Amino acid sequence: MSQTYRATWAQCRAEMLRTIRNRRFVFFSILMPAAFFFIFTGTMDGGGMHNWAAYYLMSMTSYGVVGASLVTFSQRVSRERAQGWIRLLRMTPLPSGAYVLSKAAAQGAINIGLILVLFLTGGLSKSIDLPASVWIEAGLWIWAGGFAFMALGMLLGTMRNSDVVQVLATILYMSLSIVGGLWMPTSAMPQIMQTIAKFTPTYRMGQGPWALIGGQPVDWSGIGVLAVYMILFMVVSAYIMKKQEAV
Amino acid sequence: MKHEPAIQIDNVTKQFKDKKAVDRLSLTIEKGSVTALLGPNGAGKTTTVSMILGLMKPTSGTVKLLGGDPHDRAVRSRIGAMLQDTSVIDDLKVGETIDLFRSYYSRPLPLERLLAISGLGAERGKLAASLSGGQQRRLGFALAAAGDPEVLFLDEPTVGMDVTARALFWDTVRAMAGKGKTVLMTTHYLEEADQIADRAAVISQGRLIADGTPSSIKASATGRSISFTAGESLTRDMLLVVPGVADIDWKGSRVRLYSTDTDRLIGVLLERKMPMRDIEIQSGGLEEAFQNLLKKAQ
Ligand SMILES: Nc1ncnc2c1ncn2[C@@H]1O[C@H](COP(=O)(O)OP(=O)(O)O)[C@@H](O)[C@H]1O
Ligand SMILES: [Mg+2]
Repeated sequence: MSQTYRATWAQCRAEMLRTIRNRRFVFFSILMPAAFFFIFTGTMDGGGMHNWAAYYLMSMTSYGVVGASLVTFSQRVSRERAQGWIRLLRMTPLPSGAYVLSKAAAQGAINIGLILVLFLTGGLSKSIDLPASVWIEAGLWIWAGGFAFMALGMLLGTMRNSDVVQVLATILYMSLSIVGGLWMPTSAMPQIMQTIAKFTPTYRMGQGPWALIGGQPVDWSGIGVLAVYMILFMVVSAYIMKKQEAV
Repeated sequence: MKHEPAIQIDNVTKQFKDKKAVDRLSLTIEKGSVTALLGPNGAGKTTTVSMILGLMKPTSGTVKLLGGDPHDRAVRSRIGAMLQDTSVIDDLKVGETIDLFRSYYSRPLPLERLLAISGLGAERGKLAASLSGGQQRRLGFALAAAGDPEVLFLDEPTVGMDVTARALFWDTVRAMAGKGKTVLMTTHYLEEADQIADRAAVISQGRLIADGTPSSIKASATGRSISFTAGESLTRDMLLVVPGVADIDWKGSRVRLYSTDTDRLIGVLLERKMPMRDIEIQSGGLEEAFQNLLKKAQ
């Protein structure tokens, strides 16, 4: 038992090290959201939205977490599959659940750090003044939502061709972010687009924090939608992985 | 305790869509032995190893590893493997990768020792992905040995290694075998098998075609041969009717005749005044012996 624990912990640590060393992670999840934040809060006022900087910080933090979970995570899983690493692990005593669990746990820990860094950078530089409880709840919402995108990343990672995965993940990342209103608020979109946005997990990721900073009541069904997406992605990827292993 | 082999494969077949990769193969490997699974590319070696490790399911037949199921964690903690076509993990250093694998086992070998036996002491702090092909194979060996396994699987282990690395590698494997470990390796060189293994199981097209000590296989398969440059007027038909010719290999103007009795054959050839120049008589090297064996099986 303690052996499994020790192995899982070592696996978590290794996954965290690998993520932090990954340049794509640093670019997509920290530099790009931070740059977008400064550009769009510097040049626009969000159509007169009174807490535009806070609103956009929530959008960009979500955007960063989605990128980490979707783009870097999926490609790593796919590469490990293509390079035979997963096969090699299957003949070690490491339980296969421990591999997935430590990946998710490590990414979860990384996402906490990522949210803190972006909140601090944006909050301090633009003097965003929010109650501590709002910071915490908004951060937790984004963090929890991150798991739905990890599950999507895991699903993309079941494909062996990591170049295809990279392209597909990037397209999904950008389109989901735009349609879900992470780049531009959905309120600035035509009605039809606003309706479509409600179906995206990216919109649901921002929905809670946007309500929180505006002092509006929080619609908890948003978390429910994210949970449904997560379960759906997990079930499909578990099914595909089982099929791939049964050779 | 009753005697129990390390590996037992019983009448195993693996059918891919339109290809029978392993065909009714039976093999028992005793504990403490060093066995080479020998065969040309595509013979079914990797498929066999994959089935023993539980990475592939046999279409029919049974496989037992250490008396149990290879999917059993208790069994997995007693084995180690270097698989074919496995690359290294990205963004981890050599030392970190080895330590990660050490954490999977309850009684791992010390990191220093694993670095020493893989000859990667100086590369410890380098990213694994930056290693050369041969160094990556050696890292794979360190990972296979990390848990101090009882049974070690080595699938084409020396591909990409240079001469020095190869020598260190075989020394280490020999030392492990000396400590009573069971080693199952695959190779397509009889010479490699001869240097290290005390048993060679030769497979071709998924079937076992010979099984014994490498030297006995060598002896049974070695046909002696006579080779010469053919003169203009010589034809294949002229040679075929010469008694004692087992096989003819014709490359350009160079001809090789296989025979079990080359002394007699050379006499006959000279007597019949065959148009031949630059005559040589060979006692068949290892590789030739192996090739003969494969030819015979077809
Ligand atoms: N996953 C697979 N699907 C279909 N055919 C395969 C698969 N794996 C191996 N084969 C085929 O089975 C045969 C044996 O392959 P393999 O065991 O890799 O040979 P070896 O390791 O001796 O070179 C080859 O003809 C190969 O093409
Ligand atoms: Mg092979």
